[in-house]
Amino acid sequence: MAYSQCFSVSLSHTNTHTHTYALSLSLSLSLSLSLSLPSLSVSLFLLSLSLSSFSLSLPSLSLFLLSLSLSLSLSLSLSLSLSLSLSLSLSVSVSLSFPPSLSTFQTEHKMSIEECCRKFNTDIVQGLTNAKAAEFLIRDGPNCLTPPPTTPEWIKFCRQLFGGFSILLWTGAILCFLAYAIQAATEDEPAGDNLYLGIVLSVVVVVTGCFSYFQEAKSSKIMESFKNMVPQQALVIREGEKMTINAEEVVAGDLVEVKGGDRIPADLRVVSAHGCKVDNSSLTGESEPQSRSPDCTHDNPLETRNVAFFSTNCVEGTARGIVVCTGDRTVMGRIATLTSGLESGKTPIAKEIEHFIHLITGVAVFLGITFFILAVCLGYTWLEAVIFLIGIIVANVPEGLLATVTVCLTLTAKRMAKKNCLVKNLEAVETLGSTSTICSDKTGTLTQNRMTVAHMWFDNQIHEADTTEDQSGASFDKTSASWAALARVAALCNRAVFKAGQDQLPILKRDTAGDASESALLKCIELSCGSVKQIREKNKKVAEIPFNSTNKYQLSVHETEDPNDNRYLLVMKGAPERILDRCTTIIIQGKEQPMDEEMKESFQNAYMELGGLGERVLGFCHLLMPEDQYPKGFAFDCDDVNFTTESLCFVGLMSMIDPPRAAVPDAVGKCRSAGIKVIMVTGDHPITAKAIAKGVGIISEGNETVEDIASRLNIPVSQVNPRDAKACVIHGTDLKELSQDQMDDILRNHTEIVFARTSPQQKLIIVEGCQRLGAIVAVTGDGVNDSPALKKADIGVAMGISGSDVSKQAADMILLDDNFASIVTGVEEGRLIFDNLKKSIAYTLTSNIPEITPFLLFIIVNIPLPLGTITILCIDLGTDMVPAISLAYEAAESDIMKRQPRNPTRDKLVNERLISIAYGQIGMIQALGGFFSYFVILAENGFLPSILVGIRLNWDDRACNDLEDSYGQQWTYEQRKIVEFTCHTAFFVSIVVVQWADVIVCKTRRNSVFQQGMKNKILIFGLFEETALAAFLSYTPGIHLHKQIDIDIHLHKQTYIYTNR
Amino acid sequence: MAKDAEKSTWKDFIWNSRTREFCGRTGSSWGLILLFYLVFYIFLAGMFCLTMYVMLQTLDDYKPTWQDRLGTPGMMIRPRGKAMEISYNTTNTETWDMYIKTLDNFLSPYNNSLQAEKNEECTPDQYFVQADSGDVKNNPKRSCQFNRTFLEKCSGLDDHTYGYQAGKPCIIIKLNRVIGMLPGKDGQAPFVTCGAKKEDSDKIGEVEYYPENGTFNLMYYPYYGKKAQVNYSQPLVAIKFLNITLNEDINIECRIISNNIPPGSVRDKFAGKVSFKLRINTKG
Repeated sequence: MAYSQCFSVSLSHTNTHTHTYALSLSLSLSLSLSLSLPSLSVSLFLLSLSLSSFSLSLPSLSLFLLSLSLSLSLSLSLSLSLSLSLSLSLSVSVSLSFPPSLSTFQTEHKMSIEECCRKFNTDIVQGLTNAKAAEFLIRDGPNCLTPPPTTPEWIKFCRQLFGGFSILLWTGAILCFLAYAIQAATEDEPAGDNLYLGIVLSVVVVVTGCFSYFQEAKSSKIMESFKNMVPQQALVIREGEKMTINAEEVVAGDLVEVKGGDRIPADLRVVSAHGCKVDNSSLTGESEPQSRSPDCTHDNPLETRNVAFFSTNCVEGTARGIVVCTGDRTVMGRIATLTSGLESGKTPIAKEIEHFIHLITGVAVFLGITFFILAVCLGYTWLEAVIFLIGIIVANVPEGLLATVTVCLTLTAKRMAKKNCLVKNLEAVETLGSTSTICSDKTGTLTQNRMTVAHMWFDNQIHEADTTEDQSGASFDKTSASWAALARVAALCNRAVFKAGQDQLPILKRDTAGDASESALLKCIELSCGSVKQIREKNKKVAEIPFNSTNKYQLSVHETEDPNDNRYLLVMKGAPERILDRCTTIIIQGKEQPMDEEMKESFQNAYMELGGLGERVLGFCHLLMPEDQYPKGFAFDCDDVNFTTESLCFVGLMSMIDPPRAAVPDAVGKCRSAGIKVIMVTGDHPITAKAIAKGVGIISEGNETVEDIASRLNIPVSQVNPRDAKACVIHGTDLKELSQDQMDDILRNHTEIVFARTSPQQKLIIVEGCQRLGAIVAVTGDGVNDSPALKKADIGVAMGISGSDVSKQAADMILLDDNFASIVTGVEEGRLIFDNLKKSIAYTLTSNIPEITPFLLFIIVNIPLPLGTITILCIDLGTDMVPAISLAYEAAESDIMKRQPRNPTRDKLVNERLISIAYGQIGMIQALGGFFSYFVILAENGFLPSILVGIRLNWDDRACNDLEDSYGQQWTYEQRKIVEFTCHTAFFVSIVVVQWADVIVCKTRRNSVFQQGMKNKILIFGLFEETALAAFLSYTPGIHLHKQIDIDIHLHKQTYIYTNR
Repeated sequence: MAKDAEKSTWKDFIWNSRTREFCGRTGSSWGLILLFYLVFYIFLAGMFCLTMYVMLQTLDDYKPTWQDRLGTPGMMIRPRGKAMEISYNTTNTETWDMYIKTLDNFLSPYNNSLQAEKNEECTPDQYFVQADSGDVKNNPKRSCQFNRTFLEKCSGLDDHTYGYQAGKPCIIIKLNRVIGMLPGKDGQAPFVTCGAKKEDSDKIGEVEYYPENGTFNLMYYPYYGKKAQVNYSQPLVAIKFLNITLNEDINIECRIISNNIPPGSVRDKFAGKVSFKLRINTKG
């Protein structure tokens, strides 16, 4: 306490004394700063302030270490890196040697129903016997997906504790403990420094490990909430009886019945179906529900109509099928297995950190060995020199950096979560920023996964409907009488209804029961003409023929609105060419006109145009039935049609598409200007895929595919130079035949690529192809079919709302709002954090030099130790932390979305240039600042620089209590140690002060600080916090505690000696 | 295959003969970097020297800026022994010979002839103040004689073994030099007193002090620093243990008694006092 009082006084005195030369120092320093980095001129006067001396009596316990071997640490790190590279190559080979083909494994769809029954010992009417079912259940196991092997929590925790950067700190800690152990064995009073340093290093690693573990645990908790816990039920027929059992108990050979709204319990071979449609979008990417029937329509089991797949949904109708595969043997199960078999590689940031560790180790070993040789030359024993070597290596470990990096990443992850990007793995935060290729699934990611009426054709004109999610788009002329007629037909000839209890919801958000296209029509009419329910009530339905694939139309007969009009209204919709065949007239401007050739041609053009947009076109017609032939009460017979379905009146066309999400085109544009290649990979048809690709800008305006050029120039496709076409659409079947080189060629030479009808393996191949070309690939998708690619990608992005569980499991990041545009946010944040991490690291590394040089000079020129170990920890884990973290909040320097993605081979997080500036330039300036204040303190107390060289042996000798200074005065050990601690404090405060300047230096990389401004409030807070903490550490009497204990122990020992003798 | 590629890239990195690059840079690039660092470091070094020079200019040649650490002057003994422990065997000359040599060396500047030649006799019991008159320095300052004979039986002149052989050893005590220190007020000179730690108090026996009462005469103060007062002779006090208990460790503490030297910090065992251990063996 007495010390701090004395020094508070001395501080004020020192200031008055030092002001005169403070100015000259600052001037000359500013010169050097502007030499090295032009933007640093702000820092000019800050260095000078470092002269002020605070009192901090930190222990100066010598940094002498004794150790068994350096080779231990070296071999440790070597073997570590070896094992790392080994595991990497292993994972690569695993992923390559896993090529099961999904398209050839099933043959049941080609068998007849009888063959199938025989194969599974089942009966087409009675189903399995209960005994057989039980036997099969035991043989095949339950019908559920084996969950991917979950990593035990403790392994996850260990991964946090021992991954990447932590290794560096652990190595340092182990070296420290080792040194302390040997010191304890060889010296009477070992300095505690190594012990403290080791403990602090371990604590830092453990605390940061826990921090990031809990951070990721939080994300996985959100993941858990996605899981659907409701057990699925299935209706099976066994021994002729229908029974509802748990879907898990379904076995191969079971006869299963499904109806609209059910989830398919297993892979089914359909034996009978009534208007059954299934939604395969999560498996194949097709937005449109597919009808199912008992006939085999395709060799490929994924395309054929008579197979319904596990975990897809039956949208409408009913079907009965024999279970052919259960559990992991289903198509879905195989994809899931494929996914969990894949190892995802290291994240780019992990690679960067590894590179950084190599660099740091290189610098540390270089410094260590240089001074080892110097120490040997200076006459230290080789053992002492080895101790110095280890000391220097340990001193190079940036203790605070691990925590800084983790906190920076966490902050960004939080910021991204706020913008609806949930990051599962902390390191993935940066990956999106390095991404150079995005492979995006179409359905559900780029599109709304909801059929919507996009265009109409009536009055011989194509009208565009509003497809945006919020109905902000343009509308069309609704006054025409033809539109009224079309709307009426669409409303009446429609079986879709809104589910009950949704009156509050906007129309587009309501759930419907029924076919996707009918729902689209329902919503379209509800939006433009008001309640469909009322229209239907006014026009009571009298008869109905549902859609079937032979007729390709749907028909219903209604009463008219006008109670006086006793005619019946026949409305029909269906495939446009079939409808047209039945029509003799057409409505134009509300007037019926005969259908002439000209009109037919214009119909054809409209039909072709809409079809070319990838849209599903429906034709509509109606007929007011003559009262004389069909009087009121006429009994319409739908099975044996007893009324006319010819010479109808054509009303118009309506076409539907799964429209792109509103934000997608803009987001794609932003990705493109950010130098990111966007590739569409979809299971859907090429025409639809191409239309959507054009719609969202993946194929930009004016860019043509080979086929486009061919049709424009009217030449065969083979004559077009493929290099002329920047865009291309590749069909899955073509992809199969491409060699690896051809694949590379396509990926390299086309900027705009669409892959259609791709299988999950092919998605994987595409991702691998991109990675082979050096791209960092992001994959977005929501379906099960996307999950292998999601896992393989450098970063997999799944959809939070529409995404399947499997895809979410495989992904690294989840878009909570399903909005592709959130990816752009992710890219922006990722690039920003990369830049800011660079700044943070530069800032943190810089102070390493003023921390190491005191020890080096202590060894080489034998001066009193200018900076103690504990003081170094105060800087690394105390004052430097907040400013380093505050750099994570730094705003972007320029439009980071306008530059190319970084090149992972060239643009490193930490490169030689950063080390050179941090260590070679700024660090050196800082060290000089620190040494200056050190020399000032000693000189003003009587020890001029000239006598300091070589004084160390006497200085640190406890028995030497009359050490003479430059003025002839004599000092006791304690007296000069207090001066030494004052030097530590002064050095410490100098570093704090020069770090003010350094944080401003590191704040910007390209801009000057005047362009960038000081808008980062956290950084300004950091400056104050740093200063306040430094003042606290310097002035709080309790901080002397450490030294006090040391002395007390010493005294205690003495009294012990007295009492025992 | 992959390993070969790896190897060649490593070799290429160190010396790429195609691009004539060493460690990824051409000679001229390395040259420029080295040149930059050379210029940069020369500049930094120059600037550092300049700042140091300016700092040294602000210092006083005769008196350090701060002396607040030296409020209580330290005390020290001669011979120092090994870690403040003096132990020897009276029968074995080799064990105490080094102490004799240390004392001989230490006391040789105090030989009367030398003192008479360099220093002058001053008026005892009063401070020998040699004030500067304003900016005009009164240099060099004169110093007072401290003759070896003042130490009487411990001067080593009569008994060349300083009593070590007889088991009545002399220990010389000195007070650390502090510029400008006036160790006593009202003409009261500070003096040394020695005693044993509690449990040893009956073992210490009789102690004799030289000069009389173990005083540091005031005429030796104030000290003006080694630049102004080149021939300063630090006053000494010798103590002689006349019948100390033999063959036992005895912890002895000597402290300065003065009416204006503040008690030193609890932590500093050598501020205003000095502790040491004495053990005299007589058996084989």
